[in-house]
Amino acid sequence: MISFELNGQTVQVDATPDTPLLWTIRDHLNLKGSKFGCGMGLCGACSMLLDGESTRTCILPVSAVQGRKVTTIEGIGNPDMLSTLQQAWVDASVPQCGYCQSGQLVSATALLSKNNNPSDEEIDNAMSGNICRCGTYPSIKKAIKQAAKDIKSGNGRLQAVSHYDPSNTNNMTQEA
Amino acid sequence: MATLIEKDLIDSKTNISTSRRNFLKNLASGGLVVGLPLTACASAPLPGENKNALQPNALLQITSDNTINFYLPRSEMGQGTYTGLTTIVAEELDVHPSSINVINATAHDDYKNIEYGIQVTGGSNSIRTHFLPLRHLAANTRLVIRQAASQQLKQPLASIQTDDGKIVVNGKALPYGEFADFANQLEFPEDAPLKDKSQFKYMGKNAPRLDGLAKSTGTAEFGMDVDFEGLHRAALKRCPVFGGTVKSLNADDAKKMPGVKSVVQIHNGVAVIADHYYQAKNALPKLKIEWDRPETLSKFSSDSTAADNGKGWFKTALDSDESTNAFEQGDGLDALKLADTVVSGEYWAPYLAHATMEPMNCTAKLDGDKLELWVGSQAPDLAKFAGAYYADVPKDNVTVHSTFLGGGFGRRSATDFVAEAAAIAKASGLPIQLVWSREDDMQFDVYRPAAMAKFKVGLNKEGLIDSWTVKRSGPQIMPYTLDNIVDGVMPSFLPNGMVDWMSKAGYSIFDSLTVDHASVEGLYEDYDAKHKSSDHVTVDPGLPLGYWRSVGHSYSGFFKESMMDEIATLQKQDAVEYRLKHLTSNPKLANTLKVAAKTAGWKQPLPKGHFHGVATHASFSSFASQITEVSVKNGQLHIHKVVCVIDCGLAINPDIVKAQMESGIIYGLTAALYGEITLKDGAVQQSNFHDYPALRINESPEIEVVIIDSDDAPTGVGEPGLPPIAAAISNGIFAATGKRLRSLPLKV
Ligand code: FES
Ligand code: FES
Repeated sequence: MISFELNGQTVQVDATPDTPLLWTIRDHLNLKGSKFGCGMGLCGACSMLLDGESTRTCILPVSAVQGRKVTTIEGIGNPDMLSTLQQAWVDASVPQCGYCQSGQLVSATALLSKNNNPSDEEIDNAMSGNICRCGTYPSIKKAIKQAAKDIKSGNGRLQAVSHYDPSNTNNMTQEA
Repeated sequence: MATLIEKDLIDSKTNISTSRRNFLKNLASGGLVVGLPLTACASAPLPGENKNALQPNALLQITSDNTINFYLPRSEMGQGTYTGLTTIVAEELDVHPSSINVINATAHDDYKNIEYGIQVTGGSNSIRTHFLPLRHLAANTRLVIRQAASQQLKQPLASIQTDDGKIVVNGKALPYGEFADFANQLEFPEDAPLKDKSQFKYMGKNAPRLDGLAKSTGTAEFGMDVDFEGLHRAALKRCPVFGGTVKSLNADDAKKMPGVKSVVQIHNGVAVIADHYYQAKNALPKLKIEWDRPETLSKFSSDSTAADNGKGWFKTALDSDESTNAFEQGDGLDALKLADTVVSGEYWAPYLAHATMEPMNCTAKLDGDKLELWVGSQAPDLAKFAGAYYADVPKDNVTVHSTFLGGGFGRRSATDFVAEAAAIAKASGLPIQLVWSREDDMQFDVYRPAAMAKFKVGLNKEGLIDSWTVKRSGPQIMPYTLDNIVDGVMPSFLPNGMVDWMSKAGYSIFDSLTVDHASVEGLYEDYDAKHKSSDHVTVDPGLPLGYWRSVGHSYSGFFKESMMDEIATLQKQDAVEYRLKHLTSNPKLANTLKVAAKTAGWKQPLPKGHFHGVATHASFSSFASQITEVSVKNGQLHIHKVVCVIDCGLAINPDIVKAQMESGIIYGLTAALYGEITLKDGAVQQSNFHDYPALRINESPEIEVVIIDSDDAPTGVGEPGLPPIAAAISNGIFAATGKRLRSLPLKV
């Protein structure tokens, strides 16, 4: 049994230690928001926050997160409670096919958590691990800047939920 | 419904070869117009059928509890049709688009693409072909609800107004749903007037995408996300050379791997089925398989310099006398003899993979002779037929559950992955989700064909174009899609044998008969020339092909616009002005070019070392011009900016049009700068994003999009932004370095 904190909840999972975190979360824990794109750490579709850092989980064995904090897109916000970045994403119609967007939002969240006024270059650096085949990059830049503005002015939140329980979608508590 | 096809088949009893010829020619011209009405097909039940609901056909339903369901007939793969088509319905129904419940449609006759006769999303025609039918449907629906309200409330029809899904009368607002049951009893009107542009509330206005919320919260369901109790995962090992079959198999070691439930052999390989995907994937290398490899493809290597192999094969064919004419105007090739000067140019574009962000996948559950499929497909009905064939069940026993598509770009109009899933479910007796790895996706795609073309352009004394001739060598897509399509357009009473025969024999029949329009489209149409000819010669190693965003235009845009730039340069004329001189009969394209020149500041001073490149191209009934600003420093290309001007008629949602231009440009830039699939002994060499890179955010240029204001009906946007970009970059590189690049990808 490997145990870690997932979206604010301690979870125990019965997967072999070499199972990639991505598949542990998708197949064993049934959270489908994080995506499989390449399996080689090249595209960022599988990005999750690991102790706050955007991390490629398709090549990260679940044993490596024992006792650590993992946040997926589900732990950032949900359709009823959006994080500021998610709101900016919706407002700017960032997603096209949408498949890469969980990973994009995870990387953007990690960026803004450290830097609430990123330059174009800083955005490029933080986001260059996340491929979007639909080419949503111009909208991503726009949305990150909008969200940064809101967060800087104190009207934003990087995480809209502090706690996610997949078995009860009403059980979400808003971050104070 | 008496369709063209049925008529052909009846005739075919007496004259089968004529019928096949017509059938294939119709397919080839891309115009298999079956004239499907957008009203209910009496035979098939409507999805979600409900006696108390108003449901004029399989597309729209208003229930008595006031749910407005729109069954989205086209597949949402990023292009925005989910929002676009819903906005069209919303406008004439007079309800806010976000109040409509959009459902990804299953396979049903009512959802067939009117221009193709099959339920396929492609060719950038969703908005264009649905614009009027959906408006009529929604306007008639609104009218019948008003009529029902008028009768139920005993008020004159003229006093019954609507607002955002409500009947408004005497200061009261009542939801449409309250009248749905009654409206259902009335005769459905056919001629409700449509709104004038000045009355539009939603069309032509920017509004957030309707699928944006689900896609920003990880809650949109893609094929890969489908899950249910008892579902197993499957991974498949295929012969590295397409078309190979299993000669011998030893699965003993694979079966011992953790989680493995079953190993089965199917038509094109061996599948491992396990509880979880990574278990199936881990067991795959333990299979010991010997393959029977296909002869022709196994001999093909891209880097071969032999005359009958690699690029040399394309070149030999191009230089040979062999060819089939696809288009002729005036004196065609003969006119070259009279030209004052003949300018020629030869260009190359390689095979390309789609690399959709979501690798191919399909979930299949076979219960007795009933098959359920869950799949993100551009062609749910073709998926249904493939499933029926490979699971060996009657077509009517197949249910398709459609999900969002994690990218399409043409890839998901093929059904190879559906066939595999159905075959694995059949062979194993287990409900399975077949997941392709990225490597599978890269190496077993249906590829954009490689192409070589040679132009010979005759100029008159004034240096203007008199004759425009071009010959293209390469494989044709249509023969590869026959397998897919034939079943879809054949009436279901036909025995499988006939369908089988047609798809197998299809290639040679097709190829000897006609040129697939996709092979030559975009090479000759845009510019004025008294004489024109376009020819094709087939060279085909046997790598499977498919539709890749903008199809033939994806290379012809580069070829034609490079050629035009070369001619202008030779004539020492301004690249924009020279083009404009040859666009008098193409005024919309000319206008986009003028606006692009103005927006980009063509001929205005640029920062030191920066240069403009221009290209213009019409495709999918739309018109696009692009001007790039590039610099080349120390052999390194920098793309500073791209200006894109698009005329796509009325932009239903201008923000989505803009996003599609950006998307086409970025997808096209990936191809222009990096895209190249190569083969070694018939096997694809690239495998993942390290050797088939995709443009990343730090490489993505600033893009400015201008949409021409238009009152004309909407035309394509998903693809037209792509064709000009490679030439606009390459022409900029020429301006910067004097180096003319005639091959893709561009190597500075
Ligand atoms: S799936 Fe993990 S980086 Fe691509
Ligand atoms: S939105 Fe489709 S891959 Fe990014």
